[in-house]
Amino acid sequence: MAPKNRNNRDVTPSAASTAQTSATSSGSAPQAAVSTSAKPAVNKSVSSSSSSKQDWNSVVVNLANSYRDSAPQRTKLIDAFMTFLVVAGALQFLYCVVAGNYPFNAFLSGFSATVGQFVLTASLRIQTTEANKSDFPSVSPERAFADFVFCSLVLHFFCVNFIN
Amino acid sequence: MRSLLSFFALVWAVAVSAISTTGDRLLVVLDDVADQSSYSKFLGDLTSLSPCPLSVLRYWPRRGFKLSFETPKSESLSLFHLGERAYDHVILFPSKSKGLGPNLTANLLLQFINANGNILLTLSSGSSTPSSIVSLLAELDIQLPADRTGLVVDHFNYDAASAADQHDVLLLPAPHSIRPDIKDFFGAGASSNEVLVFPRGVGATLGSGELLTPIVRAPRTAYSYNPKEQGEVVDDLFAAGEQLALAAAFQARNSARLALVGSAELLEDAWFDAEVKTTSGQAAKTFNREFAKRLSGWAFQEIGVLRVNWIEHHLNEVGASNESNPGIYRIKNDVTYTISLSEWSWSSWSTFKVPANDALQLEFSMLSPFHRLDLALDPSHSTAEAAAYTASFKLPDQHGIFNFKINYKRPFFTNVEEKNTVSVRHMAHDEWPRSYVISGAWPWITGIGATVAAWLAFCALWIYSAPIDQKKGAKKL
Repeated sequence: MAPKNRNNRDVTPSAASTAQTSATSSGSAPQAAVSTSAKPAVNKSVSSSSSSKQDWNSVVVNLANSYRDSAPQRTKLIDAFMTFLVVAGALQFLYCVVAGNYPFNAFLSGFSATVGQFVLTASLRIQTTEANKSDFPSVSPERAFADFVFCSLVLHFFCVNFIN
Repeated sequence: MRSLLSFFALVWAVAVSAISTTGDRLLVVLDDVADQSSYSKFLGDLTSLSPCPLSVLRYWPRRGFKLSFETPKSESLSLFHLGERAYDHVILFPSKSKGLGPNLTANLLLQFINANGNILLTLSSGSSTPSSIVSLLAELDIQLPADRTGLVVDHFNYDAASAADQHDVLLLPAPHSIRPDIKDFFGAGASSNEVLVFPRGVGATLGSGELLTPIVRAPRTAYSYNPKEQGEVVDDLFAAGEQLALAAAFQARNSARLALVGSAELLEDAWFDAEVKTTSGQAAKTFNREFAKRLSGWAFQEIGVLRVNWIEHHLNEVGASNESNPGIYRIKNDVTYTISLSEWSWSSWSTFKVPANDALQLEFSMLSPFHRLDLALDPSHSTAEAAAYTASFKLPDQHGIFNFKINYKRPFFTNVEEKNTVSVRHMAHDEWPRSYVISGAWPWITGIGATVAAWLAFCALWIYSAPIDQKKGAKKL
């Protein structure tokens, strides 16, 4: 028992260090995003409101264009699926608010099916994005998809059982 | 169940041999055994073995009590023999002695009541009440006048023929039930020109306990005073008006009965067939003989005795098993409960009819009742001798150990207290309704279906869009 614990203790600092490295590496992307968004903010303080609106429009158009042109097809597919899940989940929640939560297990399983599927799909997106390749050196896109399919099947099994 | 059957067999055996449901051994305690001649008609009615030839109109069933006569001071008098009751019923006529001796102490009489013995107790203003009777009545919350002597007089309702001066022979209308929901045992069927004569009697006041019920109350103009006090003006009344009970009933929790009659003279032959004259000058017949018969019949368990024949409860659901009296139910089950009751009246069991304005109620209780329901007459299970009462209801949404409880305690009726214990379990995991049965769940079922379908489509598209990625992946690998 004791040596095992010691092993665990030995392991933890290294795990923490990997977490730290991953945090710093992922932190670089938001910093970049902040620097890009800071530009229009500076403009806004100087120019009038109409011009800032035009700037915002151009930013959105640029963003959409670059997404359309440069994002891989699979990423777009994932995003479409996630959007669908958000809409489906929101509709179910709205129905619960409007029509009442009876039977509650049906609401829980229906709603959590969308939420769980969203989480799994988001994980798939993170693991298959080219930019995150360095964070998952051992996870190939095929492996990520297989994990995704397996976890999704488990999720669907639980939800169908729980809705009774 | 077996003990119940043997109990019914016992009741049947007793019913065949005697008219009373509890036995036929009757002890009559008189100061002087020779006094019994003045009560010969009353005692003759108790022992009569054939319909009374004197009253053709009224049905006199045989009552068949076996009388034993004793004096209070007799050595051989004992209410108990080897720890068992030696008699089933006792009539105590007034005694001139101060106490009733060591064999009739208040404690012994109470023990007799506790052992299901019945007592008919008579008082008289002619002699002071023995101390053991006073303490027995005090034990039952019945108060007698101070100094153990009292006389009830009424200057408006007296017998003009026999008590024109003293006004101490009261003429009362036939007694009626004191509340509309109480069956009229004592005065039913009396004609309007019959009066109950109450000669030279003692009135008592009753405590507020539910075991006590007045049978005859004094008229509003009557009062009770101590005749030994000499004086022109009565300034020390014991009680007046309707608070004076001239005849009263006590029924213990074990349904043993004690009937109190303020005037022993009421039971004498002389008043059974006497002609009396009201203050307005009209001649009237006395109701005393019928009243004495009914009062003794009530006291000795010949009327107002209830019997539970059977109790049955079962699931009342389509497709459910039809088992009787199951030990376990599930919450929210539909259940039917039926109880069969008979009432003994004089010589036979008959259907028990709940008096108008009253209800027989069933409680379904765990510590406190979750349901209290009126039981309705169920003609399909009733017979000529037994009435079945039934109620159907849905069990509460609460699991635990519950009782079907009947607690029917009414004046003049023997107590009915029945408890049937059942377990109520919660829903089994496969007894809940499926989601697709509940229309409210359909949107969420659709939600899961949409999610799964979209996921399948997503997987198909993902694999379909694979080549580009694979090329890229292959390049990078």
